[in-house]
Amino acid sequence: MVLTHRNTDGIDIVALAGRLVMADVPQVRQRLLAVVEQGQGKLVLDLADVGFMDSSGLSVLVSVFKAARLKNGDVVLLRLNPTVRSLIELTRLHQVFSIFDDETAALARLR
Amino acid sequence: MAMTRTISLAIDSRPECIELLSLALRGLCGLTALPPLAIAEIDLAMVEAVNNAVEHAYRGEPGHSVVVELRLSPGCLGLSVRDRGEPMDPWRLAGSAEIAEPDRADPATWRPRGRGLAIIKSCMDSVEYQIQDGANILVMSRKLDRAGPGSGS
Repeated sequence: MVLTHRNTDGIDIVALAGRLVMADVPQVRQRLLAVVEQGQGKLVLDLADVGFMDSSGLSVLVSVFKAARLKNGDVVLLRLNPTVRSLIELTRLHQVFSIFDDETAALARLR
Repeated sequence: MAMTRTISLAIDSRPECIELLSLALRGLCGLTALPPLAIAEIDLAMVEAVNNAVEHAYRGEPGHSVVVELRLSPGCLGLSVRDRGEPMDPWRLAGSAEIAEPDRADPATWRPRGRGLAIIKSCMDSVEYQIQDGANILVMSRKLDRAGPGSGS
């Protein structure tokens, strides 16, 4: 799993690429929690290049969301592919995460 | 004449080996007319079942075998996941029909874990748990003409 991080006006944007599954979870969880801890807790997760995710991948999203909320921040999801969107909707997590197809709109949600 | 074709695959109980099973499953699904989202759902069900074997039955310990059998029949794809670790409480499967509704306003509902079995049941048409000769087996099947992704019970 490849993780790319940048910051725009205090908002962290992390793009993930690959499969977000159990084998990758410890590394990805650690890195995303570090981003939240060191930043303002406002995080855009760009999942355009995540082609597959399992429930352990979902556990990372929820853990990072909880960490962000503890800092009065938020995590929004950007550019879900159909497979990942289907999983998010199946598990009703679209009721927790705001989901955007456009980065400008995602950033606006966190400002 | 159409007949059932079966392949068995064994991996070591390490998370990094699970992707190999996904690659094989997707190759087999290429023999069907299943749409990409349906293939992804079947892959997801298999991955969740193998995750459970690795993480719970074998408690994350490498060096054990997880065996997946794929069965392609006319109109149906079957798969079973077999381990010889700690058995699952069968009631866990019976009690996992519904996925709990998370509420953005209620942190108590932001559960990181516990969705695997419900995902499996949603992605497949039938799911049974068996214990045979000391092996734990999750047996699943999905009709090839199922209406569409996420339409299972």
